[in-house]
Amino acid sequence: MRVLGRAGGPTLVLAHGLGCDQAMWHRVVPLLVDRYRVVLFDHAGSGSAHPGAFDPSRHAALEGYAQDVVELLEYLALGPVVLVGHSVSATIVLLVAAARPDLVDRLVLVGPSPRYVDTDDYVGGFSAAEIDELLATMESNHLGWSRAMAPVIVGNPERPELGEELTASFVRTDPRAMRAFARATFLSDNRADLARVRTPSLVVQCREDAIAPVAVGRYVHAHLAGSSFVLLDAVGHCPQLSAPAALVAAVDDFLSPARLSPAGS
Amino acid sequence: MSGDAWERAPLGLLRLDADGYVVAANETFVGWQPRCAGSPAPAEVPGRRIGDLLTVGGRIYWDTHVAPALAMAGSVEAVALEVRTVDGPLPVLLTAATDTADPTAAGTVHVALLAVRERAEFHQELVRARLAAERWADRLHWLHDATAGLSRAAGTAQVRRALVDAVCRHPAVAEVRLSHPGDTARATVRRTGASTFEVGVAGTAGSHGVLRVRVHDRPGDLPVDVDALDVIAQQGGVALDRARMHEQSASVAHELQHAMLTVDLPRHPGLRLTAHYRPAEQGLEVGGDWYDAFWLEPTRLAVVVGDVVGHGLQAATAMGQLRTAVRALAVPGRGPAAVVNLVHGFVVDRHVGFGSTLVYGELDLATSRFSFACAGHLPPLHVQALGGCAYCWQGRSTPLGVPAPLARAQGTIDLDPGDTVVLFTDGVVERRDQSLPEGLNVLASAAVAHAASPSWGERLVASDGDARDDACVLAVTWRPVR
Repeated sequence: MRVLGRAGGPTLVLAHGLGCDQAMWHRVVPLLVDRYRVVLFDHAGSGSAHPGAFDPSRHAALEGYAQDVVELLEYLALGPVVLVGHSVSATIVLLVAAARPDLVDRLVLVGPSPRYVDTDDYVGGFSAAEIDELLATMESNHLGWSRAMAPVIVGNPERPELGEELTASFVRTDPRAMRAFARATFLSDNRADLARVRTPSLVVQCREDAIAPVAVGRYVHAHLAGSSFVLLDAVGHCPQLSAPAALVAAVDDFLSPARLSPAGS
Repeated sequence: MSGDAWERAPLGLLRLDADGYVVAANETFVGWQPRCAGSPAPAEVPGRRIGDLLTVGGRIYWDTHVAPALAMAGSVEAVALEVRTVDGPLPVLLTAATDTADPTAAGTVHVALLAVRERAEFHQELVRARLAAERWADRLHWLHDATAGLSRAAGTAQVRRALVDAVCRHPAVAEVRLSHPGDTARATVRRTGASTFEVGVAGTAGSHGVLRVRVHDRPGDLPVDVDALDVIAQQGGVALDRARMHEQSASVAHELQHAMLTVDLPRHPGLRLTAHYRPAEQGLEVGGDWYDAFWLEPTRLAVVVGDVVGHGLQAATAMGQLRTAVRALAVPGRGPAAVVNLVHGFVVDRHVGFGSTLVYGELDLATSRFSFACAGHLPPLHVQALGGCAYCWQGRSTPLGVPAPLARAQGTIDLDPGDTVVLFTDGVVERRDQSLPEGLNVLASAAVAHAASPSWGERLVASDGDARDDACVLAVTWRPVR
C-alpha cells in the first residue's frame, strides 16, 4: 500500500483489476498527485501483496476483496474517500459503498460490468463457455506469463521519482489466487447490488471495449441512482493506460466543486 | 525485413496500431484466415482488432493481460493463445513488442505468432499435470489437518467437535453438522442438494451419526473433494470408536476407584473422621489417590492415604490391591514401620504399584498416641486444638518398591484433646500457580483457621476447575471421652 501526492488534497483510492497490480495506474498517478492524495494498493493474491493475505475462503467471492478495501479504509482513517475501481474493482468498490457508505464519498467506475455472462434477458458480452475458455487460457499462461513479465521499472520521463516507486510486478501473481480471482470476477452476478448504492458515482466507459461493452456501461449508469456517465474516445479496456489524460479530466470534472450536490450527500 | 521474408516467413506476422487494430498482416497469417462466404479469398485482416482474430478466451486475455503488459513493459513473450483459422482454433505462441526505433510509428506493435499445434498438446498435458498436483496437495493438506485434529481430541465430545472442525477447514465449506449417533446414511459422500452433501460416520458398533455439509457455492470456490471427505468421515468413525472404548474403560476405572473410596468410615464417640476426594478435571483418566480407615482393635484405629503411580484402569486395580494388602498386613502389635515394610515386600513380590507412596498411621485411643510411617509420601499435618500446627517429618522412608537403605522408620506424636491429624496427597498442595513449599504453607494456615469447621476438608480439595491431578484428604480429630 502506498500513499502519494498532496497530503491535504481529496483522497483517491485506486483499485486495480484482474491480471495486474497497482502499477496499472502509473500513467495517471503523475497527473493526479499535485491535487489529490493518492492511495495505491494490490489486491490479495496480486502484485506484491503479502502472500499470506490471500485466503481461499474469504477471496472466493468479490465480497472478500470488498471487505479488504473496507479494512484498508478503516486503517487509513482519512475520512470518506473517492474510490476509483477499474474493471472487476468497479464491482468491488460498489460493494464497499453498499456496505459502508460512511467510508465512501464518491465512486469512479472505470469499465464496470456487474455480470459478464449473458442470460436470457441480459447481455454481459460472454457465454459461459467463452468464460471457461478464458479460464483455460489463463491456466495455459501462468508459466509463460512469468517469463514474459520479468520485473521492469515503469519509466516515467516527466516524474522519475514516481517511476521508481511503481515497479511493475505482474510476475508475482500466485496462480491459485489468480484462478480464484478470475472465477470470482467472471462468474459473479452483482447486478442487484447496483440498487444498494447511494454514493454519487461516475461511470467511465471506453468507446470500444471488448470486456465491458458500451451497452453494459450504460446499464450500470441506468441502474445506479444519481450516477454520471462519460464515454471516453478510447479503445480497449484500460483507459488508464491508453487515455490517461482523458480519464483524469473526467475524474477532475466529476469531483469539481461545481458538481457537488447541494445537499452535500 | 524484405517483402518476401515478411510475407512468407513461417510465422504469422502482424503490425498493430496503438489501439490494437491490424495495420498489416503477412501472407502466412492471412492464409490461416477463414474464407468469406461464397469466396475462396480469406477474410480481410487489416482494419480488424487483434482480439477479433483470436478465440474468445484469447480476446479477453488480450484485453485484460496482454495489452496492459505491452503498454507497461513494452513487450510480451510467448503467450499461449489461439487464432481463429480456416481449420478451427490454432494454438500459437504470441510474442509482441512496441516499436521504439521509429519515432513516426509511436505505439506501433509488432506481433509474431508461431503455430504450435503439437507443442500446445504437450503444454496442455503439463497444465493438466500441474492442476492434478495442486489437487493432490490440497487433498493431502486437508486430510493431514483432519488427522492431526482427530488425534489430538480426547473423549467422544471432543472428537465429534474435531471432526466437524476438520471438515469446516475446507475453504469452500460453509456449514457442517454431525447428527446424533444412530442416525445413519451411506458411508460414501452423497449429494443431497445443489450445495449440500451427506456422509455417514460409521463405527464398528453402529453409526456415530451423519455429517451434513453445506458448501458456499461462490464463484471462486474450489469444488469440495468428495473422496477426501469420504476418508475424513471414515477416520472420524475410527476416532469415535476409539474414544468410545476409551471412555468405557475410563468409566470402569472410575467406578472401581469410587467403590474403593466410599468406605464406611469408622465411628467412635470421641472421634471425628472425615475424608474428601476430588478427581482430576482434565482428561478422562482416573488418578491414583486413595484413602482407607479401619479398626485394628477396638481402641486402635488405622488410617492410610496413598498415591499410586500411573493412571487409568491399571492404577485403579493397583490401588485396590494395595488397599487390600494394607488391610491384610496391618495386624495389632506390628506397628506402622513393619506394616509399611511388608506392603513394600508385597509391591516387590507382586510387581504391583511400584513407586507408589503412602502414609500409614495408627491412633491408640487409650494413650492418644499417633504413630505413623511415610513411604515417600507427604508428611502428616498435626493441627493443635490450642492453636498452631506442624508437619511431622519423622518416620520417613523411600516409596514402595524402592529398597530402603535402612530399616523403615516410624514416628510418633502425642495428641492433646481436640487435636487433628491430616493425611493428604500432593494434589492438595501442588497447584500450577504455587510451589510445593508455598502449598504446604497454604494448607497449614487453612488447617489452623478452619480445623473446627466440618467442611474444611472439602474446601481443601476444591480447585479452580482445571486441576490436572486428583486430590485426597483424610482428617482425624480425637477428643477422648470420659
